[in-house]
Amino acid sequence: MAASMRLLVRRVIRLSQRNINVTAAGVSARSGCCQGPSSCRCFSDDRSTHFGFETVPEEEKAKRVYKVFENVAQKYDIMNDAMSLGIHRLWKDTLLHAMHPQPGARLLDVAGGTGDIAFRFLEYVRSQQERQKRRAMRSMQTPSWQEISNNYSTEDEDGPQESRAVVCDINKEMLKVGKQKADSLGISAGLSWVVGDAEELPFDDDQFDIYTIAFGIRNVTHIDQALQEALRVLKPGGRFMCLEFSKVTNPVLARLYDAYSFQMIPVLGEVIAGDWKSYQYLVESIRKFPDQEEFKHMIEDAGFYSVQYYNFTGGVVALHSGFKL
Amino acid sequence: VLVLDMAALLRGLRAGRALRGLGSATTPQSSSLRRGFHCAALRLQDESKSDKPPSSSTTYHEHYRAHTTEQHTTAASYQDQSGEQGEEYETEEQLQARILTAALEFVPQHGWSMEAIAAGAETLGLSSASTGMFYNGAGDLVLHFIAQCNSQLTEILAEQHKQVQLGQAEPKKTADFLRDAVETRLRMYIPYIETWPQAMSILLLPHNIPDSLKHLSSLVDDIWYYAGDRSTDMNWYTKRAALTGIYNTTELVMVQDSSPDFQDTWNFLDNRIQDVVNMAGTAKQVTYSALSILKNLTGVNQRR
Repeated sequence: MAASMRLLVRRVIRLSQRNINVTAAGVSARSGCCQGPSSCRCFSDDRSTHFGFETVPEEEKAKRVYKVFENVAQKYDIMNDAMSLGIHRLWKDTLLHAMHPQPGARLLDVAGGTGDIAFRFLEYVRSQQERQKRRAMRSMQTPSWQEISNNYSTEDEDGPQESRAVVCDINKEMLKVGKQKADSLGISAGLSWVVGDAEELPFDDDQFDIYTIAFGIRNVTHIDQALQEALRVLKPGGRFMCLEFSKVTNPVLARLYDAYSFQMIPVLGEVIAGDWKSYQYLVESIRKFPDQEEFKHMIEDAGFYSVQYYNFTGGVVALHSGFKL
Repeated sequence: VLVLDMAALLRGLRAGRALRGLGSATTPQSSSLRRGFHCAALRLQDESKSDKPPSSSTTYHEHYRAHTTEQHTTAASYQDQSGEQGEEYETEEQLQARILTAALEFVPQHGWSMEAIAAGAETLGLSSASTGMFYNGAGDLVLHFIAQCNSQLTEILAEQHKQVQLGQAEPKKTADFLRDAVETRLRMYIPYIETWPQAMSILLLPHNIPDSLKHLSSLVDDIWYYAGDRSTDMNWYTKRAALTGIYNTTELVMVQDSSPDFQDTWNFLDNRIQDVVNMAGTAKQVTYSALSILKNLTGVNQRR
């Protein structure tokens, strides 16, 4: 009885288009006034969204995306290498280079399933720390007694200056693969794994220095809501960074890229991962994602400052970066 | 014939420039400029829409003035001009300048580096990740410092200039004025002298050269302006070249100076200024005597 009532109520809500904004605001229970109109603008009124080139009801997209990544989790890293010919490693390295995290920074890697960004982050920070230590050693080659005693007293304070990375993914299978990878690589310090939705992050406000989402925001149903959440969890001065497939600007390269992605990638998916559909979705969802300028405006609308983007490999991938000030 | 040719050439050049100007006005490159105008217009509209329309032009002027002066006062002036913008309103550039100013405090410790900027940002309650705003990293920090020193010197010189005009201080001789100006400017480096060679090397990186040259030329130009130079001939160039040379060589001496209170540096500076004064005198004599020899040879002088 109760179940049927709920169904009825839900249908009524879906019919009355006016109520959409109210319910959306009710769910997130935060600043409904500014989320309402933007969600209304970005998505058509009948609460449907795109799943690849298909149009599906909004609540179904999340489920289907979950299925996709559940299916490909085991072969995810191999497929990335195969599809991008290994270039995705360079993209991720460039992301870290642009990030240039300082020791002590806290990273939230959303949709970071297999932990590629988080591992690189910890590695980068460690090398950064070693470099600083080396430099300090070099400048202190002939220390005075005063400096030596100071050293002893400050040594304890260096302890808490440790960087932490939190990998957050909605998909348990992906996290499982990531954890296995971390175990085999022997990385455990400063790393935690959390199951969570990018649209409703299970974290407090002002927690992180850097928010990254690499090849993930495309799969989020309400991109603007995910951006709002990113803004919420970042500390003031924190940085939002997003690596995502984007629009190729060069017409020749675009032709080649289209041919490659529509003809080759589903085939690769079938051969390596045994899954044509998921990779068909991957290619289609890339085409559906807003281009560089449009996404930049979305990030600005969410409230980030000095938003910039850099194109990699002629626009196959774009890195967007914004600051919470 | 030669003169005619020259005139024609000049005219041609001028026409060409005008054409180029016309061309660029229609190309899409100017669209950003147009957008800028558009934005300004919009903003003016917004301001006139908000509570007090008649004062929109004055607020605009005040905004502009506020940008150029200290940031601390801006918050207050914004607040009492238009309440809705409040004290939170601060442009990205102002915030960046604030971070860099805070970072200067950490330069002796971390050098001219991203770490110093990160430490500066943290004192303002911002995350260290905000250093990502500075694409040029350490270069931005050094250039900011130089710009700050330059404007500080300009203020000092303007103050002196005012006092001279009011008759409260004796006008200095040009040589003394230049010497004092350069010394005042170089003394600003003293807190950072340990790390200054690093800053100099950063300034010489290819992508920083245009900006560092710009700052250097504006510095030299300001000093000459307050020294009372209003020349518009070849002199303008030679004067600036001479002072640039003096400034740079003295800076190099200063970096290696270990004497108390950089006494050797100031001696060096004295000598170089004296050289220039002597040289100018010699040059004048040479031209004078050359002219008179020329006159004598051509027989111009004999007519008297």
